[in-house]
Amino acid sequence: MSNKVTRRQFLNYSLMGVGSFMAAGMILPMGRFALDPLFQTDAEGDEIVTSVKVSEITEEPEKVDFTFTQQDAWYESEVTNFAWVYKDGDKLVGLSPVCKHLGCTVTWAGDDNNPDMFFCPCHNGLYTKDGNNVPGTPPRGPLDEFEVGEKDGYITIGKKKENTLV
Amino acid sequence: MKRGKGLKFVGDSRIQSYEKPKLNRDYSEFPGRTEEFYPDFLLKEWLTGAVFLVGFLCLIVADPAPLERMADATDTGYIPLPDWYFLFLYQILKYSYASGPFNVVGAIIIPGLAMGALLLMPWLDTSKHRNWKKRPVAASLMIVSVAIIFYATWESVAYHDWEQQAEQGKIVFSNLDSDDPVFNELIRTNCTSCHGGELTGASGPDLVTPDLDEGTVKAFVENGTETMPAFKDTLTEDEIDEISQFIANLELTDKKNADNTGEK
Amino acid sequence: MLNRIYDWIDDRIDITPIWRDIADHEVPEHVNPAYHFSAFVYCFGGLTFFITVIQVLSGMFLTMYYVPDIVNAWNSVYYLQNDVAAGMIVRGMHHWGASLVVVMMFLHTLRVFFTGAYKSPRELNWVVGVLLFMVMLGLAFTGYLLPWDMKALFATNVGLDIAESVPFIGEWIKTLLAGDAEIVGAQTLTRFFAIHVFFLPAALFVLMGIHFILIRRQGISGPL
Repeated sequence: MSNKVTRRQFLNYSLMGVGSFMAAGMILPMGRFALDPLFQTDAEGDEIVTSVKVSEITEEPEKVDFTFTQQDAWYESEVTNFAWVYKDGDKLVGLSPVCKHLGCTVTWAGDDNNPDMFFCPCHNGLYTKDGNNVPGTPPRGPLDEFEVGEKDGYITIGKKKENTLV
Repeated sequence: MKRGKGLKFVGDSRIQSYEKPKLNRDYSEFPGRTEEFYPDFLLKEWLTGAVFLVGFLCLIVADPAPLERMADATDTGYIPLPDWYFLFLYQILKYSYASGPFNVVGAIIIPGLAMGALLLMPWLDTSKHRNWKKRPVAASLMIVSVAIIFYATWESVAYHDWEQQAEQGKIVFSNLDSDDPVFNELIRTNCTSCHGGELTGASGPDLVTPDLDEGTVKAFVENGTETMPAFKDTLTEDEIDEISQFIANLELTDKKNADNTGEK
Repeated sequence: MLNRIYDWIDDRIDITPIWRDIADHEVPEHVNPAYHFSAFVYCFGGLTFFITVIQVLSGMFLTMYYVPDIVNAWNSVYYLQNDVAAGMIVRGMHHWGASLVVVMMFLHTLRVFFTGAYKSPRELNWVVGVLLFMVMLGLAFTGYLLPWDMKALFATNVGLDIAESVPFIGEWIKTLLAGDAEIVGAQTLTRFFAIHVFFLPAALFVLMGIHFILIRRQGISGPL
């Protein structure tokens, strides 16, 4: 077999080249267009002031609702979520109620046998008060934490972050 | 379907197996230098396609696709215009013999006949000749039709007020509240037909962008101008005050704070 | 390696004749611009097909963001055009492609007419071609409404009034197109969307298939 490029091979390579150019000209803009969600930077929300007073918070986790405006592309809506907030000494702690197993909502003391734990009713997941998952139950990690602050005596809820208490 | 002992098949399928590579079809019916479609001719076609694509992308970047403000059926001041390739039909409908009582002529009969004739062309033009110079009737009818299309399109373009066209559809975010009773009861009936459904200008000027004070607006509404009627006699003093106040308060906003578009 | 995969597949389903049918034919001198530059008129059909491919692709991508609903349609178009990367280009492709496809199709029709290529034995392919022309105009008309801006709504109003002026059945046509006898609104938009995205493209693909099969069966028309 000779190493010379035959006329037919040359034409074939040129065809591939021109064909790829045309395909790229069409597909590149459309591909970037379709992949846009991967490159969207989240506009992380500010501190949201809730209607719960700091003085109402005890050592017992309390359900604190917070409402924010969510911009979902062209659709703007008011979304209400809640956090489990309690006092750890003087420090305010806020935990996300989303179970780290499959995303159900956990409740405080929802299980009669474990009155001092967060309980997920879907698959009987258990977390300790600081959000740590109890080994042997389904969850794969501790509950997420919210940045919790105070403004004019009211609780504020900030960014969600990984649990720092465990 | 061919059957016989001589044929070999792939396995037990109905697909024939070939001993020799399949031969090219014979295209010797056309005298002259023929060329293989693949790869010789295809390469030329693709090169043309690539050049075309580059030009096309340049056009897209140079002239972005237009988007006007959100549809508002209550804005009666808007003058509609079809896409440019329907402009000739739009123009034909302006002619007196194709409008009014004869509207059906311009809207249905002429386009219908043209499309029908085009569809049935092989049976209308029964001449054996293929060269257009040898079938003068068919060729001249086609040339005349094309000329009419070109002329009507040109006429429509030449006599259209493009500035107003661009003005009346412009996307503007303002604090104009379309639920305000002053807007609904007074301005919609008196102002929007000239100044645009969102008062951003049409045949009359834009009232949102300039920073007008109440007194100026009031003077204009009361006395009018050369082109604008005076409203001193048709509206009460209070109504003119309300209108002036409303219009003096208008200003541009960003999309987030706009009251005039969005989910209302 | 590639050759062995090809041979393995070819042994079983005999694909060689399929692509040979498409690729292996001679192109006569009179349509090759390399020999007679005036033969460039023969490229309009191919370019029409090329833009149609662009239209189909860009349309598919646009529906990732677009919603056919009067509350959100304009907002979604505004979003995809201004906030999505390359949105301006993809929408531009679809917008300008629509214009160019009409231009190219018009030129292709004129070429076929003036070279008498529609004469026996190619009458049927001419008819298919004219039907394709109508489908394309239908696509242009229905696509115009979808951004739900001022131009879209008011131009569609005019178009629907023209449909209404058809003798005897005009009002039925208008009601069926608009989804309501009086209102041009929510139902009009969803109907036009369905027609633009499903019904007409289906017709377009079938007709294009027939158009191409007939060209390959009958071959290109001879020199004048």
